This record gives sequence, C-alpha cells and structure tokens, in this order.
Amino acid sequence: MNNRFARTLGWLAVPCLVAAGALAWYVTRQPVTAFEQAPAAEFDPALVSRGEYVARLSDCVACHSLPGKAPFAGGLEMATPLGNIHATNVTPDPTHGIGRYSLADFDRAVRHGVAPGGRRLYPAMPYPSYAKLSDDDVRSLYAFFMKGVQPANQANLPSDIPWPLNMRWPIALWNGLFAPNTPYAAKPAQDALWNRGAYIVQGPGHCGSCHTPRGLAFNEKALDEAGKPFLAGALLDGWYAPSLRQDPNTGLGRWSEAQLVQFLKTGRNQHAVVYGSMTEAFNNSTQFMSDDDLAAIARYLKSLPGDPQRDGAPWAYQAVAANARPDAPGAHTYATRCASCHGLDGKGQPDWMPPLAGATSALATETASAINITLNGAQRVVAAGVPDAYRMPAFREQLSDQDIAEVLTYVRSTWGNHGSAVEAKDVGKLREHTDPASSTPIILQMR
Amino acid sequence: MELRINQKTYQVDADADTPLLWVIRDDLGLTGTKYGCGLAQCGACSVLVDGNVVRACVTPVAGVVGREVTTIEAIEADEVGKRVVSAWVEHQVAQCGYCQSGQVMAATALLKHTPAPTVEQIDAAMVNLCRCGTYNAIHAAVQDLATGKEHA
Repeated sequence: MNNRFARTLGWLAVPCLVAAGALAWYVTRQPVTAFEQAPAAEFDPALVSRGEYVARLSDCVACHSLPGKAPFAGGLEMATPLGNIHATNVTPDPTHGIGRYSLADFDRAVRHGVAPGGRRLYPAMPYPSYAKLSDDDVRSLYAFFMKGVQPANQANLPSDIPWPLNMRWPIALWNGLFAPNTPYAAKPAQDALWNRGAYIVQGPGHCGSCHTPRGLAFNEKALDEAGKPFLAGALLDGWYAPSLRQDPNTGLGRWSEAQLVQFLKTGRNQHAVVYGSMTEAFNNSTQFMSDDDLAAIARYLKSLPGDPQRDGAPWAYQAVAANARPDAPGAHTYATRCASCHGLDGKGQPDWMPPLAGATSALATETASAINITLNGAQRVVAAGVPDAYRMPAFREQLSDQDIAEVLTYVRSTWGNHGSAVEAKDVGKLREHTDPASSTPIILQMR
Repeated sequence: MELRINQKTYQVDADADTPLLWVIRDDLGLTGTKYGCGLAQCGACSVLVDGNVVRACVTPVAGVVGREVTTIEAIEADEVGKRVVSAWVEHQVAQCGYCQSGQVMAATALLKHTPAPTVEQIDAAMVNLCRCGTYNAIHAAVQDLATGKEHA
C-alpha cells in the first residue's frame, strides 16, 4: 500500500517537476530581440535627435522625470492596487541607470518589459503599447538615452509592495496573456497616413493606457481597432479619460480632423481645452509632435466608429433664456461662479474658455472629471513655452460637496446636456483623494 | 485690432487671447478698473460690455471687438451709472475703495436690466467681494436706487 502510494507520488512528481521547470524557464527567460547580434552601437547625431523625437512621442518624461530634478532620473511615485512603485532612473548612469544596457537589453525592457537578468517590469511601464515600436525607433531611442541624456547618479527607490506580492515572475504569465510581442504591422488596406496614425496611437503614444477601459487583471481590454473597447473611454486616477472614437457625446464625433490637430498642437479648440492628466500629455508630448504626425493621429482616430448604445442620443444645443431657471438648485452658483468664463449660455469663450454645453464632462456617465476639475482646478497649459492666460480655479475651499453636486447637476442638465445628476457623496470621496492643481507651469525637460 | 471703449475708438496691438483687463489698464492707461484675483472670482475688474457686466480679467480682448465697452471712467456719462455713483456718495459706501469700481459696474448693470430689483434680485446680482466688508452700505445704496428713494 505504502509502496504503491510512493510509486504513484513518484509518477505524479515527474510531470510536476517538468511543469515547474518549464514555468521557471518561461518566467525568467530573456525574450528574443531583433538586436541579438547587434554590433556595438554607433551614435550618429541624427539618430540621437530622431530618438529624442521618439521619446517625445512616447512621453517618457511623464514618468521618468520629476519637475526640478535631473531629466530621466526617475522617482515618480505611482499608486497600484498592491502598493506604490517608483519610476526608475533611465539615464546612462552605469550604477543606477541604464548605462550598461546593450541595445538588446534596452529593447527587452522597452518592448517586452524584461530587465537584464530576466526581472519583469511592472506594466505601469506601458510596454504592452511600446511592443509595437519599430526596430528603427527602438534603435534611435536607445541612441538618445545613451548620448542625449546626461547620466544622473541617483538611486532608485524600492517599491513598498509587501512579500509575496512583490514577486515579479507572475508578470511573465500576465505578459503571455496580455502583452503583444511583435512590432506594429502596417495594414495594406489602409493608406500611409492612417497607418502612421495607428502606429503612434497604439505604440509610442500609448493613448490606450488612459483611454481604454481595463479588465480584471488591469489589462487594457483592446490594444488596437480590432477590439470595440479600444479607446472607448475609461476612469483612471480620479479622471474620466473620454472616448477617442466617433461618439458624438463622449468621444470625438463632433470634432473634425483639423480641430483634433489643433487640440493636440495648441491644447485647445472650439470644443475643449486640455485638463486633468491630458494637460501633462499635452505639455510634455503632443505639442512637440510634427504636423504630419498629428494629421496622421487625427486620420486614424476619426476612423474608429462610435457606439450609439454606449454613447446615447447625440447632444444638440438647446437655448435657455437668461434666468429661465433662476431657482433651479445650482443655478445661482453657476451664474456667480461659472458664467463669467463659461457664459450664461454655456457656450464658453472658444477657443480660450471651453463650452460646457455639449462638453464630454457634462454628457459622460462618469462624473469624475466634472467633479475633479471643479474641486481642484486646472493645471497650467503651457503651449510653445507660454503659460495660458486663463485657468480654471479650484473651488474646494469655496463650495461644499452639496454646492458642487448641485452646480454640476445644473450644468449636466442644461443647454441640451443630458448627463446624470452628481451626488454630493461622490464629490466628498474625490475631495478626500485628490489635491488642488498647482498654479505653477510645469514642463518636464528632456536634456 | 479696433476697440470701442467709453464711446471712443482705440487701435490696440494685442494678442487675441490677452485679457481685456490688461489692455484697458496697461495699453490704454484706464486704471480705474482693478486687478483682484485674475480668476473671475472677486469682481474687482468688472466692466460693461454692451450693457452687461463682465469680468475683464477673463475676457479675451478679441471677444469684445465690435462691441461697446464701458469702464468706471465713463460711468457717469451713463444715466443709470450717474445715479449709482450719487447713491454711493450719499451712503459713503467706499472704505479702502479697491473693489468699488467693480461694485458700481455691477450695480449699474443690474439696474439697467432690472430698474426695480427685489431684495432677492439684489442679493443674487451683487456678488462682488469686498475685503473691507462694505456689503451693508452697498446693499442700502442699491436698495435706495431700486425704490427711487435716493431722490428723496
């Protein structure tokens, strides 16, 4: 009996050991890169400057630089459900940075999320998007980080995720399920402009990191136009990143390609002004993109169909006579606090102060963006080095949760807006978890 | 660009997004209109545009081209404005005075649209801030104007 038991165990142990061995190999293996046999890199200045542009497209500074600190020395704290992690030093410092990385090492980190030695990066690094970068762009990006960035002798901060959650190897399994491992492949049925736009949006631009809803494993539900959830709008860090599809209410359905280009280049157009996290993306990344690339992005985004079921009946402006609803809750707050800029008619003063009539924040089911911008105000929009003349002030000290709920409910139900009512308890929740925006203009330097 | 301010025409060289307040004060030297918060919160910079009160600090200058701007300097050329100033003097409203040009503009706009406002309408319209706390005097002056008592 004992003998048979032992023998059965033995037989069972064999496949278990094989599986464990295979798993150990899989989760620590070094992904194959296109640069396996790459000779020692040469750093042509043109390649370095091309790489600087790719770094702008990819908005590397957003996480790897802090205001007033050495460029790319890391340090930004990012909250995850498991604990806080910190962006790392990606300067060519040999001790703390990536100075000893070969081109192959660099590629494994950027496109596959694997650091030298097989350690998996957290997908806070958007390598599921960067996986789509072309070999040429990776090569030039490497040249920029090696030669265009000054080494910074600054140690990385450890994460505060506790054991055993801080084990990194399970991320390899996540990668197997959710991270693509081939560069963007042009769709022959589409023209060059569309393909360039698709490449930037899906790859370096990593627009989906904020604008695509995430699944249970915090994976983006779609990584390209083949999936309906792709760029369909998502709630992240107290902001609702709107749909970038052809949804007339919550997306870009009413925007022309030219208006989209203007928005990404100057931070504003007749429909909206950048705010929330998009201010950072604009200040540090989109305004530096070439006109051709912005046109490509606009062409691609305008090709993504909307979803009337999700988006609802298209908004249409409804005139409201001045003081037609003077006793509606929130109407007086609106008239005294908001109307100087956004107008009693809700039309704003385009392109400087955005309309609230037809605004995404007034039509989206998610109320987070409307609440957050009202509580905390706007960061400075810095276009071509000039801070904006007009800024949304923070109302957290002046208006109660109930005041804000009422005025936002008024905004979301006037001028044809048909957003849901805003609850005071939702305002209270965001009030606790957010801070007022800084009035200091912040542009992160890359050199 | 060409601006109409206090019945005069001015040629102004300014970017389209320059706040009207800067043009009035810095370019044209009409310094009766005050800079308070710069965020449309206090009302010190109030002026009239086509008879409506606006906050000049958040009014891009391009938006008032072709419209008639009135500042405190010309308020007594307006019949309602003149009555408001008299009532202000009568009630000795001003203390430090910094916010008062804005308060006078707000009162004038109110009375132009609503010659006999109720107490509620006065409260709803007179929302400019005053750090000295002249609110009671402001309210009394506007109340007199609303009920025609200032001629008594």
